[in-house]
Amino acid sequence: MTELHRPRYVALFAAESRSLLALGRRTTELWRAERDDPGAGVELFRILHTLKGMAAALSFEELAGRVHEVETALGEVRDGTRPADLAWFRVIERELDTLATMCEVLIAAETGGGDAPAAPDSVQTDSEAIVRVEQGRLDALVADLGSLVTARQELERHAVGNIAPVARAAMSMARRLDAVQDRILQVRLAPLGEVLDRIPPMVRDLARQLGKEVTVEVQGEALEVDRGILSTLPDPLMHLLRNAVDHGLESPEVRRRAGKRLAGRISINARRERDSILLELSDDGAGIERERIAERERAAGRLDPGAMLSDDGLLAVLARPGFSTAEQVTDVSGRGVGLDVVLSRLHQVGASLSLTTVAGRGTAFTIRLPLRLGIVRALVTALGDERYVLPIAQVAELVAWQAEAAVRVDGRLMLTVREESLPVLDLRRLLLHRGAPPPSHRPVVVLEANGQRIALLADRVLGQVEAVVQPVDRLQGMPRWMVGAAILDDGHPAMMLDLASVV
Amino acid sequence: MAPRILICDDAIFMRTMISDILTGGGYEVLGEAESGLQAVERYKALAPDLVTMDIVMPDMGGIDAVKAIIAHDPNAKILMCSAMGQQQLVVEAIQAGAKDFVVKPFQPARVLEAVKNLLGT
Repeated sequence: MTELHRPRYVALFAAESRSLLALGRRTTELWRAERDDPGAGVELFRILHTLKGMAAALSFEELAGRVHEVETALGEVRDGTRPADLAWFRVIERELDTLATMCEVLIAAETGGGDAPAAPDSVQTDSEAIVRVEQGRLDALVADLGSLVTARQELERHAVGNIAPVARAAMSMARRLDAVQDRILQVRLAPLGEVLDRIPPMVRDLARQLGKEVTVEVQGEALEVDRGILSTLPDPLMHLLRNAVDHGLESPEVRRRAGKRLAGRISINARRERDSILLELSDDGAGIERERIAERERAAGRLDPGAMLSDDGLLAVLARPGFSTAEQVTDVSGRGVGLDVVLSRLHQVGASLSLTTVAGRGTAFTIRLPLRLGIVRALVTALGDERYVLPIAQVAELVAWQAEAAVRVDGRLMLTVREESLPVLDLRRLLLHRGAPPPSHRPVVVLEANGQRIALLADRVLGQVEAVVQPVDRLQGMPRWMVGAAILDDGHPAMMLDLASVV
Repeated sequence: MAPRILICDDAIFMRTMISDILTGGGYEVLGEAESGLQAVERYKALAPDLVTMDIVMPDMGGIDAVKAIIAHDPNAKILMCSAMGQQQLVVEAIQAGAKDFVVKPFQPARVLEAVKNLLGT
């Protein structure tokens, strides 16, 4: 193999090793249930053999050696020198998990921690014709589509109220473009299983390291999301799951005393809800120590004496940069990224996070994922000549600024909207805008994210667009909430602001 | 015209690797099969000049596929792709009518040489 091709082969190895090991796991479970079935052993042998071949081709010698040992263990049963009893199955299952972890470590080392580059087609072996497309080419196609959508909107603007043939042609083009847009975005869809299938072995492996027992259930892996969204998921998911295993699940001894099943349960459940996919990660562990955290917040003066922490409030505390509750820094989750990084990764692709936790019963994190990346319905606001767009999903309502509804509390300007007191954020101040003075009547955009609301003060609101948002090269010092750039239908460039982290 | 080759292996990884080696050597990859059964069907449909055949595959292994292809076309040129430690199976494949073998992990030069010898080019 030439080294030139190596990243491509690593990407193939990533996709194929994951689906092989997931299949290996399922095959082993079937075999354990149907122990007389000779087919399962043959199939498992084939799976390991294929994995070994790939490992050897990439010079992953340690992995190839380990696979060979498992093959040998399998051979002993095939030759009848050893019975396939429960203890043996446990060994094989543990080995499959170890192999999965080894694969992930090797893949991460080759791809610099990110996911495999230019993920090739999903490894489906039913033989519909599959075309392999580089992600970069697809991205370029989506970018071209973006400028077409912009041109369409301009045409539509001129065509409104006009019955000339040109206007009719413009409308018909618009409809067709909608269809093309839909199809192209569909090409980018991939099943959640590509990420979710490799989670159970890693979670079980982790639990073993920590002396805990765990069963992992995954549901909804057939649901499809945009690849761009899918590829940001592994790190946030592993972070949340690491926390669940390390801090959420109790030791078998503690669980026994609490009258719980010895093995903790972690379930990952994906389901569709309107234009989103909800990905719920739940554990049946001890729950987050809400009162202890609230006490710390009160002591630090960040929470009123006697006030309680709601689930949303708790998440806001946990997501504060540098937050840690772990009394003991364990090897597993005491280091690395915090929940704040998880949140900002999710926000970058338009996903949000919520939390529910019950003492003694467990914790559930719910990630709300958009189905598609790239085209966002957005509200256009202006400061002088500058345009800023806000994802419409975060806009709760627009209200007029009324000076008498605003009061200053502890030096902070608060605005009463529908009997709710909201902190005011002035877009001019946030962006350090120095231009002509603001108009006398300024609209207020009520933004809602993660269950919190703020009143955003803009100069003007220009309307809604379908913005094709492109990622921006992050300059040093650029705030995290500037998430992308779009070109509006009048040719103006606009920055996309995701103020969820500011809310 | 470049000789046309059918690649049979259950792993996309291996098919891609063999395909890269062969196209790099100026051959045309006519098609791919991911099981023994598919290999036989595609051989009949495509009539390639040469077949590379993995040994361990689902739905009919490589050796049975060799037997079926040779039964259909006694002059079929089949190159076995085996892993270390499969000597016994390679012998069986050769007895069934395969003409040569290469061992994984592939050395591109060795694969191209075997293909060239088999095609007599």
